[in-house]
Parts: sequence; C-alpha cells; structure tokens
Amino acid sequence: MKAEFQNTPPVKQKKSLLESFKHKWSNDPLFSILIALIVMVILQTLTLGFDYGSVGEWFQAWINNWINILRNNAGVGIVALGMTFVIMTGGIDLAVGSTMVITGAFAMYLLDTGSAGILGAIGIDGVPAIILTIILVLGFGYLLGALIGVTVTKGMVPPFIATLGAMMIFRSVTQHFAQGYNTTVPMEFLQISSFKIGNLMIMPIIYWAVIALILYYVSKRTTFGRQIIAVGSNERAAKLSGVNVNKVKLRVYALMGLLVSIAAIIQVSRIGSMDFSNAGRGMEMDAIAAAVVGGTNMLGGRGFILGTVYGMLIIAVMNNLLNLFGVPPFLREAFKGIIVIVAVLLQRKEKSV
Amino acid sequence: MPTFNNGSDCMLIEMKNIRKSFGSNDVIKDVSFSVKGGEITALLGENGAGKSTLMNILGGVLQMDGGSILVDGEKVDFETPAGSLEAGIAFIHQELNLINDLPIYENMFLGREIKTKRGSLDLKQMYQQTAEIFERMNVDLDPGKMVRDLDASYKQIVEICRAMMTNASIIIMDEPTTSLTDTEIKRVFKMMETMKEQDVGIIFISHKLNEVKQICNRYLVLRDGNLVAEGNVSDVTTKVLASHMVGYDVRTESLRREKTPDNEDGEEVLRVEGLTDGASFRDISFSVKAGEIVGVTGLLGDGRSELFQAIFGAEKLLSGKIYLNGKEVEINHTYQAIKEGIAYLPRNRKENGIIKDMDIIENASIVTWPLFSRRGIINIERHRQTFFEQRDTLRLKMGDLQDRITSLSGGNQQKVVLSKWLAVNPRILVLDNPTQGVDVGAKEDIYDIILKLAEQNIAIIVLSSEAQEIIRLCDLALVMYHGVIQGEVRDELMNEHTIMRLATGGELDVERREQPL
Repeated sequence: MKAEFQNTPPVKQKKSLLESFKHKWSNDPLFSILIALIVMVILQTLTLGFDYGSVGEWFQAWINNWINILRNNAGVGIVALGMTFVIMTGGIDLAVGSTMVITGAFAMYLLDTGSAGILGAIGIDGVPAIILTIILVLGFGYLLGALIGVTVTKGMVPPFIATLGAMMIFRSVTQHFAQGYNTTVPMEFLQISSFKIGNLMIMPIIYWAVIALILYYVSKRTTFGRQIIAVGSNERAAKLSGVNVNKVKLRVYALMGLLVSIAAIIQVSRIGSMDFSNAGRGMEMDAIAAAVVGGTNMLGGRGFILGTVYGMLIIAVMNNLLNLFGVPPFLREAFKGIIVIVAVLLQRKEKSV
Repeated sequence: MPTFNNGSDCMLIEMKNIRKSFGSNDVIKDVSFSVKGGEITALLGENGAGKSTLMNILGGVLQMDGGSILVDGEKVDFETPAGSLEAGIAFIHQELNLINDLPIYENMFLGREIKTKRGSLDLKQMYQQTAEIFERMNVDLDPGKMVRDLDASYKQIVEICRAMMTNASIIIMDEPTTSLTDTEIKRVFKMMETMKEQDVGIIFISHKLNEVKQICNRYLVLRDGNLVAEGNVSDVTTKVLASHMVGYDVRTESLRREKTPDNEDGEEVLRVEGLTDGASFRDISFSVKAGEIVGVTGLLGDGRSELFQAIFGAEKLLSGKIYLNGKEVEINHTYQAIKEGIAYLPRNRKENGIIKDMDIIENASIVTWPLFSRRGIINIERHRQTFFEQRDTLRLKMGDLQDRITSLSGGNQQKVVLSKWLAVNPRILVLDNPTQGVDVGAKEDIYDIILKLAEQNIAIIVLSSEAQEIIRLCDLALVMYHGVIQGEVRDELMNEHTIMRLATGGELDVERREQPL
C-alpha cells in the first residue's frame, strides 16, 4: 500500500505530460504540423553537419541557407496565404500562376525605360513611376481577382472551372501581346527585392512575414475572416445568419489577385524580367499543397494562416534536404507528392478520433 | 419465416450490466434489461441519455466496456454489425441505407446479391423473393419500382422488409417517424403490428410519447446512462413518461395567454399582401401585431418554411408586398432583413442552424459580427458580455465558450442558435420548428423564452408541424395547405380537430357549423 502511494504521483505526472502531448497532437492540428516542421529542420541541420572550421562559420552557413530557402519561397508563400482563404470558402484558384504572369507583364510595360514603357511615354519616371506602378499593379491584380469572384458568385460558375478558364486566358493573352518583348526594368525598381538590410537580402522574406501577420489577424479577429469560415463550413447557415455570402467570396478571390500581384512585383524586382511561358507554372499546385499540408480542409470551413506558413516551410525544407542529399531533380516532385498525401492522411486520422 | 431458436418461444435478448465510456465520459453505467419477440418496446430518453450508444452496442457497431449480452440464454459477442445481424438483430438507422437509383428488389439484396451460375445477377430470383416477402408482410408495392419514387414511409417499409428477409427476430428502429407525415406514420405502424403478430420484437426509439402510447407494449427509460424506469405502457400516462425522461415533473398545461393584444391597441408590425414565389406558395396575405404569438402550421409541402424564408430575404419572391410598421420594404438579402429587425431561426438545425467548424461563442455571435465591429474588427468582449447575459436567461448548459458547438446536446445547440438572434434585438422573430430534435426540458425552456419575448412586445411567429405546440403556445394560428393560407383559427376554434381539417384542405366555415367541441 505504502509503495503504491509513493509511486503513484510521479507515474501519474509522467503520464499526464505524455497525455497532454498526445491530447495536443490529436486536437491541435497546428501543433502536429509544427512538430513535423521542427523534425524536418533538425534533420536538415544535421545534414548540413559541423564539418566547418568553427561554429561561427557553420552558423553563418546555416543562416545563409535559410535566407535562401525563405527568399526563394516568399512569392509562393504569399500566394499560398491567399489560397488558404480561397480553399476555406470551399473554392480553389488555379489561375494564380497566370495572374502573376499577366500582372508581372503589366508592371514591366508600365516601368520600361525603353520605347515600350507606358509611364515613360507620359513623362513619369524615377521614384514616382515606381510608386505608381506598384499601385496600378496591385489594383490590376485585385481587379482580375474580383473578376474571377464575380464569375464564381454572380455567374455561379464552379471555382475550379472559372479559374481554369482564367488560367488559360491570362497566360495566353500575355504571351500573345508580349511576344519577343525584352524589358529594361529600372535599377531602382530592383531595390524592392534586393535592398539589403545589414548585408542581408531579406526584403521578400519581410514582405511575406508582414503579410502573414496581417492575414493571421484578419483570419482571427475580423468579421471578414470569421465569415470565411462560416461560408466554407455551412454556406446555407451562414446565409441564414445574415452573412453576405457572395460578398465574402468575391473579396476572397479579389484578395487572392492582390496577393498574386505582390508576388509578381517581388518576382520582377528580383530577376528584372519574367519568362511569360514558364513563370508561375505549377504555382497553384504548390500553393494548394502548402495550404493542405498546413491543415486546410479542401472542402472548406477549416484552415490556418500559420499552418500554411508551416506547410510552405515543410515543403521548402524538404526540397532543400533533397538537394543536400543529391536526389535527382526529376524525383523531387514525387517526394512533394508523398508529403502532401501523408499530411492529409495524418489529418484524417485526427478527425476520426 | 423468422426462425425461433427453440422452436416454441419467441426470441429473448438480455443485456446485463452493460457499461460503456468514451474517454472519461461514462455514457452507459451498468444498464440491464431484456426484450422479447412479439413485443414492441419503447426506448425513451432525452438526447445524450445513451439510447444510441446502447443500441449501437446491441447492433454490433460499438463494443461494450463491460457486461454481457445473452440471446435466448446464450452469451454472445457482437464484434461487427454483420455478427449482430447473423444472430437475428437488425438495426434500422435513422438515415436509411437505400440507394435511390436502384429498384426496390435490388436494394433488398444489397451486399447479399443472388447470382446465377455464370456470375451475373439473378434479377428474377431477387424480384421473386422480394415479391414473396411483400406478400407476407401485406405490403402493396411493386418490387420493380425505383426507390427514388417512394415516399419516406415506403422507404422505411422497404428497410423493414429487408430486415425481415434476413430472418431478423429483433428489429431496432431509430426514430423512424421523424420525417413522416401522419398518414405515413400510420402505414409504418400497421407494418409494425404485422411484425408483432409474426413474433418479431421491435425496439422503438422515439421522442414522440403519443406514438409510444399508441403502438408500444413496454417501455424503458434511460437518463444519464442509467435505466431509470421500465414497465408496461398501459400503466402510465405520457406525462409520467416525460417526467421519467427529464427527472422532474413536466408541465403539459396550456401556456396560451389570457389577454391577447387587442385588435385596436396592438401596433401592426408586419403585414404582407399577395406574396407569391411561383412554386411553393401563392397569394399570401396576413398581418402580425407587436407582442403577438402567431402560429403557422400545416402538413408537409404546405410551403410555410419557404414563405418565411422569402420574407427573410433568403429566397426570391415573384410578387407581393411586405410592410414593416406600415412602411413598404424590399428585402432581397438576409442581412437586409436583419437590418429591418427580422430574425429567422431556421428549421433543420444541422443543415441551416449551426456551423460545425465554429465554437459555441462564434455560433452565438455570427449575426452580430458586423454589428459589433469597428472597421471590420470584431469586438470580442462585447460578444462575450451579450452571450453571458443570454446564457442565463436561456438556461444554457455548456462547458467552455471555445468548445465545439457539436459538443452540446440538441436542446442546447438550439439555444445557442436562438441566442444569436436575441443579440440583435429583433422586432419580429420567426421560429421555424424551434423544438425540433430538442428534448423535453429544453422544449419548455424555449416556450418560456418565447412567452417572455412576447411580453417585451416582440412579434413572434412560430412555424410548427406539431398542432399541439401551436395550441399550447400561440394566440392565433394560420393553417396552410399546399401553399395557401387555408384558414385562421383562434380561441375555441384553435383545436387539433379544426387545424387538421384545414391542413388537409377542408374549409373553416363548414367546420364552424359542424363544430362539436
């Protein structure tokens, strides 16, 4: 009896710690996704190894590697945030890659310092031209998104079809009108992406982080953000609760367009040009994958901005790992596919508990 | 054709000391009872009392944590629904397992298809056997008819016949009458009588105590996982059954108020003229005064839900005018209706009322999000305060604000849905089947709230298919029949007889002359 009494409390405590972990694991989807991310990062860190001369150098290499990863994924990362909202309403946006191309082309035509430049032709150049370009491109992206939104809501075209159509239209139109077009984007514009903070080229990462924070707040605290969940979870009940379902959906697609145009600006300002036939191809799938790995339900009603950030990072770190391991490039997509399916399998298991 | 294990007697099932818990939640606590063939046993209890869990154990869907099941004195262990079915226990779930796109006879053999030597389906055999069972059960149905063309009661009957075909000796029926009209219920009851005569035992799960009185021999009452009462139905009144279910005496007296707002005094809040939607209702005109409780009732297909959803802006109107406080308004959207002070609590809570991906507080504040916000940012504190005030008036039993809405019982879910409408202080409150899937205790709570709101001069419209509910609660009732208002009844004319007469297309004038009551 005595021994039992003495033994019980510590055993119980251990159990409760494990149990609380288990509880969190199966009840808080973000928790399990974060754990998965941490495991990946540890794996990646181990792979990078300590074979550098000193810890300081090793750390520098680790940081540089990470900055590279984040910067390379900032564009898709931002698009994935918007995709999360779209999927949460029960929709999908396949047009993001093409929207990026058409808004990117629009930016380049506005800015061009050569004969084709629109703003240059009406005598606006320098910093005012850059600011005006940003405003116009963001507006254009928002407008294209809203156009898709109207097709989906008023036109009652299923999102898959509406955005599939838009995907073909936007890219094809861009390719036709920008045939053989060589841009000369002003150097100042490139600063948007390549401005250095303390020797680090991290501007795209900052944009991504700021947008993620804003959208996180929007999803948690604003009428719009919560109505997205209501619409995606039970559209009928949302409508009968006075939610303007069409307005919510329209704004979600418009926001998507806006975020894509930001990605376009980052892309153009990073490279100074854009390959209209290849840029953004498969971007929609990467964004969907990030959202799904991050716990977004494809049927709508459930999604997490933070989860999508984690999801994007998981995919990015995995790419990095495959790179470090020297896995042949053609095989890498297969790993991405596996991750997406495994993530959904794990989430399904949680649900049935 | 049901096989009796010992030839002479009917099948006997004993469940002894059954226990079952989900996590730390004990759902069934040491329950023992028995059911026999040739009897209809009612299994009663409020939502969450453990009825479904208990029957799922018997049906092999769930495994018990402790206890034993004996069939004709022999201990059995049901690990799967198939095992239970083999022992002669068939479970007819609330959601019917029929495939609309197949004919009846193919549905009868789902999963147990008869095949010819060459391996193709032996349709002739299946048709034949279906026809035989229909004949034995006195069912007048063509086995070749498509299931989609059957009404709900015949679907129920097809399921029963399917169970009979597997030689089931005990059939569990989970709330079989919820979606049926009165004539359909009669049809199913006749079928149940036939089965009883053939020594089949039925476990009848229901909330409708009148039906229990009508059809059942014995009753079992579960409350909080315990068996609190059992006996012969003929020995008890529905009132006693209800008090067993909730654990205290339930009032059944009329709640109708003595003084109704005077024709002269009451201010007219809502008036509609000639509303037509081109499909479900036509030429609807009526008016409602402040503080009045108006009932709207009718049978399935009367169009009352569609009518009020259209007034609420959720559906389109073809023609007609809506006046609020004497001023004509045009309402094309639900949010416009809310701005005008109209609130609508929808029927079918699961499909129209709750949003299952959101927690309790969010479900309670969805309507007021845009109203309690500045620049689109939700004022969480104000929502909480509003909800806390209502939680007490509504007698809402709940855990944490952030718990899932689905963690609540049906009655409490309904109270949460109701609370979101009370938060906007409506002038007109439309309640569509407000006590659907709500247990007896919560039902009375909801009636109390309705009466209280009427005192506060809110115009209240209660849509209900239960005439009893309307009679107990409302000052007057509009009875609809096939999309038109067939008549208006109040005072002594408001009785089940008159309402049924109107609801089936009869005339009020004839009624008045014949009025015996």
